Amino acid sequence: MTNRDRLKQLMVEVFLLDPAEFHFDLAAENVDTWDSLGVVSLAVGLHETFGYHCTPEEAVAIRSVPDIIRLLSSKGISFET
Amino acid sequence: MKLELPPSWTLDEVCRADLGIVRLWADPSVRDLAQVALPFPAMSAAEPLPDDLDTLIVVGGGTWIDEAKVAARSHANHVRLIAIPSLWGSGAEASPVAVLNRGRVKEIHFDPKFVPDVRVTWSKLAESVPPRLARDACGDCWSHALEGFLSPLAGDCLRQDLAGVMCTMLELPLTNDPRWFEVSARACAGQAKSSVGLIHGIAHTLEGPLRADAPAAGWGHARLCTAFLLPVMTFNRRGSSKWGTLAAAHGLDETAIFQVAGELFDLAAYDSALPTLTLLWSYVLRDRCTRTNGVLVRPGHLAHFEKKDFS
Repeated sequence: MTNRDRLKQLMVEVFLLDPAEFHFDLAAENVDTWDSLGVVSLAVGLHETFGYHCTPEEAVAIRSVPDIIRLLSSKGISFET
Repeated sequence: MKLELPPSWTLDEVCRADLGIVRLWADPSVRDLAQVALPFPAMSAAEPLPDDLDTLIVVGGGTWIDEAKVAARSHANHVRLIAIPSLWGSGAEASPVAVLNRGRVKEIHFDPKFVPDVRVTWSKLAESVPPRLARDACGDCWSHALEGFLSPLAGDCLRQDLAGVMCTMLELPLTNDPRWFEVSARACAGQAKSSVGLIHGIAHTLEGPLRADAPAAGWGHARLCTAFLLPVMTFNRRGSSKWGTLAAAHGLDETAIFQVAGELFDLAAYDSALPTLTLLWSYVLRDRCTRTNGVLVRPGHLAHFEKKDFS
């Protein structure tokens, strides 16, 4: 499984999405469950899945899938296809 | 960081204080005792509070105290609220949360103004708690402390405080002991600074439907928390290294804690709640408490609960 696959699965499970709803440009404003509690779940999930522990500031600043990819890529986690 | 709790008074201090116009709200199970010890005019929860009220004294379990919080804080005056728990576990006497039962739904309100002004530990009330209720209250208390400790919103200082509370809890018997009142208040005050988790997500989702479907079965918040304490803690331990790492870092005896959770576990109660958990799992996943569990809860994790291997 690639990191892109892991990220897709994580997003589907954290935000309870239909897999067909997911795309790599997804943003918080398009997801009902992406609220302040969703941010907490996402931060826990990113730690469990990718081993990176977001700071609270980083977690709050994540507003889209590209934001996640940018953050994790800056920590050396590759999302190259 | 020290856990912040409302000031604690004795019954004698309540009786001697200048409280202005006072009303006493007491749960029927302790009303006679309360009216002897607290010589203030009593009123029923169905009556509106007097316009000129200065102080409301509530004696009862968490449900009573939470209703009193909302009544006192909705009053035009700043009504002083004195909370005297008749049972430990909810920690309502020290918490900014008010959980209101509205039919099949539980409304959860959070506001610092809901913290009572004064709390009173009345040890004698511990004697009258039936053993089964006392045991469930201990499970409720453990679920607050453990979920507050493991919460992703807890910091190191808070975890250290809650670890200290849990070390004290390990010394207490899982039965009527008035020392539970104090540790329960401390556990809840700590948990209120972080969050709760999956145990509470399950309890909040299942309580209304279970009570409606089997009113005589005695389902309530504390019983559900106790029934799911071991299953959820086993899930947290297996799902991530976080629990083990944090327990070790804060000097918690993991083996002793799981032993307590095992002693509190009641397979018959669990089995009778499991079909409802299966049915309502998608709602459990959406519950706000579940979403702040220390370990991420995913749709496929229902299998852990259905497998019933909590060793």
